[in-house]
Amino acid sequence: MTTQFMDVDVRPTLRAGGEPFGEIMAAVAKLPPGQGLRLLATFKPTPLLQVLGSKGFSHEAREIGGGDWEVLFTPGAAAGTAPARTATATDDSAWPEPVQHMDNRDLDPPEPLVRILAATETMAQGEVLSALLCREPAFLLPELAKRGHAWHGGFEPDGKTYKILIRVGAAKQAA
Amino acid sequence: MVGVALSRWTMSYFATAVIALLAAEGLMLAGIGYPQAPIGAPASLLLVHLIAIGWLSLLMCGALFQFAPVLVAKPLYNNALPLPTLGLLIAGLAALLLAFLQLGGTIHAPFGLFPAAAVLLGAGFGLVLWNLGRTLWAARPLPLPARFVVVGLCCLAATVLFGIVFALVRGGVTAQSQLVDVAALGLPIHVIAGLGGWLTFTAVGVSYRLLAMFMLAPEPEGRTTRGALYFGTAALAAIILGGVAAICTATNLMWAVWAAGVLGIIGLALYGGDILHLYRTRKRRVIELNSRMAGVALANLAATVALGLGLLLAGRFTDHVGVIVFLVAFAWLTGFGLAKLYKIVAFLTWLECYGPVLGKTATPRVQDLVTEPRAKKWFALYFVAVWVAAAALLFTLPWLFRLGAGAMLAATIGIGFQLLRTRRLANVAPALRLPKGARPPHLLHSSVQPS
Repeated sequence: MTTQFMDVDVRPTLRAGGEPFGEIMAAVAKLPPGQGLRLLATFKPTPLLQVLGSKGFSHEAREIGGGDWEVLFTPGAAAGTAPARTATATDDSAWPEPVQHMDNRDLDPPEPLVRILAATETMAQGEVLSALLCREPAFLLPELAKRGHAWHGGFEPDGKTYKILIRVGAAKQAA
Repeated sequence: MVGVALSRWTMSYFATAVIALLAAEGLMLAGIGYPQAPIGAPASLLLVHLIAIGWLSLLMCGALFQFAPVLVAKPLYNNALPLPTLGLLIAGLAALLLAFLQLGGTIHAPFGLFPAAAVLLGAGFGLVLWNLGRTLWAARPLPLPARFVVVGLCCLAATVLFGIVFALVRGGVTAQSQLVDVAALGLPIHVIAGLGGWLTFTAVGVSYRLLAMFMLAPEPEGRTTRGALYFGTAALAAIILGGVAAICTATNLMWAVWAAGVLGIIGLALYGGDILHLYRTRKRRVIELNSRMAGVALANLAATVALGLGLLLAGRFTDHVGVIVFLVAFAWLTGFGLAKLYKIVAFLTWLECYGPVLGKTATPRVQDLVTEPRAKKWFALYFVAVWVAAAALLFTLPWLFRLGAGAMLAATIGIGFQLLRTRRLANVAPALRLPKGARPPHLLHSSVQPS
């Protein structure tokens, strides 16, 4: 059986400085059973591969010239039935614009973690915090999960800056 | 990715490891084993394995259960295995140490202890390899530091296999001629695969990430780092695979040793260049004690390589192989291990205790859990004592060696006491120590809070 693919081109959103996660998840939610997703992006969307992997999609990523990437997400047998493992995957709606931006790239560990957790305590339900880091915040993520915040993050195209978006209390709401 | 949780039993590994180090230093102070006894004597073998397995390997395993997941940003494959693994390793080490006593005639046992040690240590390290191997396998493609760890784990497998062959032959379980050959000629490969491959190469990989992290330096991942990985791997492959081939075909082992030596020195030189670059390009001008002491240990590694080369060129290497092994174990690996332990214990304790209340109430900083000026004196004493002891070995002054070992023991007790204070939050001002919602950490295990 050949898989049909729905096209989602997030390059204009990315070039405009936007955050296409909501757009992609909305498209995934609309996919009829058995249909795949063909994603066009300006970089290899590594974190997304894991998110969709947890929803049962396998992927094939290739560079298509000009630094752009095409990723084919093919639904596996478990697609649509796999329980969402990460806080990210529970949240399919588009996220509002961040109300706070932090640049934590020049801070000694664990100061970035401290500042992010402190900031989320002052924010209202549903508000989004955006933070830049110089590495994947491995120890932060379980703390966010414990506190019921949803997040998604990944390396920027430069490969050095990790950007994380945190939606306060969103995982609690979805649960 | 769901992030990385605290490894529940890492503190137990650390505590057991430090006890083994103290015991080994005590034996050296008491004049048991090398240099009072010949390097191959049962008492020396007991001492060497107490250090290599009891101290260095348990330290490395405990650290990897916590930090291999950090290196690859994936959770540990199985969080329940580290405890039974530790049990097997401790039982296996005890059996091995008793087996050496049996070999030396100190104790009499009605059955062979070597086969028991082979089974227990084989199973324990097998579980280490399975758990870490599955963790790394799930995270392919691996970042560069994790690839060093993969090579280190392959060397651990080789070291353990050699050890099992030695134990089975010594224990009289097998008299198969090729295994007897391996047991007779394979000692240099066992030592290099263990100290050079498993312990040093893994420490090198982990150091790329930890030093960059603690000094806010860009992590090197260019040609020199890949070069260090490839040359180092080629050196280890030359000695392990080439060495086994030489033994099996009854050719001289020396060509494999030479090839590995040349490749290894190129690899270490590239690593040295990377590390110098890392210290120079750091954004953090004033660095913490752990990074400064790691620097001393790294300088010791460079000095050990230089001394080894000098002895080789002077044709005196074989006479002084004990000094080189001592320097690798204590000046480099133990120095680096203690330096990183000082930071890791503080960080893990801080995260366990204050993580749940961060942002909700005032909490201490990680640095508030330690008192660097106090620890600094013990680290200084430790390194000076190691240099004195190494000089004593080089110039054959056994009384001076025991003096050095005594000072090493005192310094390790001092550092161990500081680690204990950190774990018990004793350095934190009482008003800040336990804010509402924070739980005091247990000494030997970390509570993993439900997420």
